[in-house]
Amino acid sequence: MADKELTRQVVIDPAVLELMADMQEKQSESRLPRRQREKKAKERAKMRARRDQRVTYDIPPILKQTMFEMAESMSLPASQLATLALFRFLEDFQNGEIDLTKYKKPSRSPRYDWKLVFPQEWLKSASYKIKK
Amino acid sequence: MVVIAIANQKGGVGKTTTAVTLASGFAQKGKRTLIIDLDPQGHVAISFGTEKNPALYRWIVMKEPLKKVVSPARNNLDVVYSNSQTELVKRHLTLLDYREQVLSDLLKSSNYDFIFLDLAPSLDILHINGLVASDWVIIPTRMDALSLDGVKEVLIKMNEITNNGHSYSGYRILPTFFERSTNETMTQFKTLIQSFGENLLPPIAQDTQVREASAFGKTLWEYCPKSKAVDGYQDGKNKKGGYKQVVERLWEVING
Repeated sequence: MADKELTRQVVIDPAVLELMADMQEKQSESRLPRRQREKKAKERAKMRARRDQRVTYDIPPILKQTMFEMAESMSLPASQLATLALFRFLEDFQNGEIDLTKYKKPSRSPRYDWKLVFPQEWLKSASYKIKK
Repeated sequence: MVVIAIANQKGGVGKTTTAVTLASGFAQKGKRTLIIDLDPQGHVAISFGTEKNPALYRWIVMKEPLKKVVSPARNNLDVVYSNSQTELVKRHLTLLDYREQVLSDLLKSSNYDFIFLDLAPSLDILHINGLVASDWVIIPTRMDALSLDGVKEVLIKMNEITNNGHSYSGYRILPTFFERSTNETMTQFKTLIQSFGENLLPPIAQDTQVREASAFGKTLWEYCPKSKAVDGYQDGKNKKGGYKQVVERLWEVING
C-alpha cells in the first residue's frame, strides 16, 4: 500500500478555535513589557482604522498586473494609484467625458439589468507599456 | 420532528433566552416550531411579552389536546406556557406508571418540525421527562465552575437515560455570558475545548441588550439583531459566535 500522509482531522468548530487563538494572543500580549504592548495596540488601531478603506472588486487580471507593475516601477502604493484612477474616472464621468453606452449591454443576471463589455484590445497585455 | 432540550441544572445560565432565541431562529427559517416551558417560573411567557398561563398543566394533567393549549407567539412559532401550577404537574407525574415517558408519548402525535423544551434548573420528574423526550440536548453554561458542574450533572443524567434504552442524536455545550477578556473565561474555555471538542458550540457574548430584550418582551432577533449576543464578535469582516451562528451550526448538524 502506498504511503499516504496522515492528516489529523479538525473536529472543533472553527469559530471556537479562532476565538481561542485570539484570546491566547491577547493574553500573551498582556504579558509583554509596556512599550511592546503599546506598539501592538497602535498596530491594532491602525488596522482597525483601515477597515473602512478596504474594498474588493473583480477586475481583469491584466489590469491588476499592470497596476502592480506600475506601482512597483514608480515606488508607489498600488492602492493610491487605483484611488487616483477612480478619482479621475469620476471627474471625467461627471464632466460627461465618458460615455458608458458604448460598453453597456443587457445582462442576464437576475441582479443587474446591464453589464459593461470592454473592447478586446484592452484585455491584451501588449496594450499597456509602462514608461519608467 | 426533532425535539431539542435546553438543560443545565445550574440556574441563570441563559436556558430560557437560548430556548426562545433558537426556537424563533428555527421558526424564521420557515419551520413549524414549538417551545414547551417546563419551568414553573414560566419565564418563556415574559420573554415573549405575554402573561404566564397554566397551559402545561392543562395539557398534561387535564389531558386537553395540544392544539387547544398552545398559544401562537410569532410566525411559525407556538408555545406551551407554564406557571406555578407546573408544580402540580410534577406531583401528578410521580403518581403515574412509566412516569418518565409521559412527555415523550404526548409529543408523538404532534406535527411540529422542531420542538424546544425549556427545562427547569432541577433534577425532578419533569426534567427527566424532558431529557427522555429529546433527540438533542443543548447545555448552555457560563464560564464558571458551578455552571460547568451543572453540565456534568446533565451529562450523567443523559448517560443514565441512554443506559435505559433511549438514544440521543447528540448534544452540544453552549458557552453563554462569554467575556473573552477575563483569564477565568479563557481557562474554562480551554477546558471545554479539551473535554468536549466538536460538541462545543461558538459562544454567546455577555451583552446587556439580552436583559433589555426580555424586559420589553421581545426576542433578540426583534430587539437587538446586530448585538454581540446575536451577531457575534466582530473580527474584521467576520463574526465569531452569537446566536445567529449557533442557529446555523445546529441547522447543519441536525439536518445532517
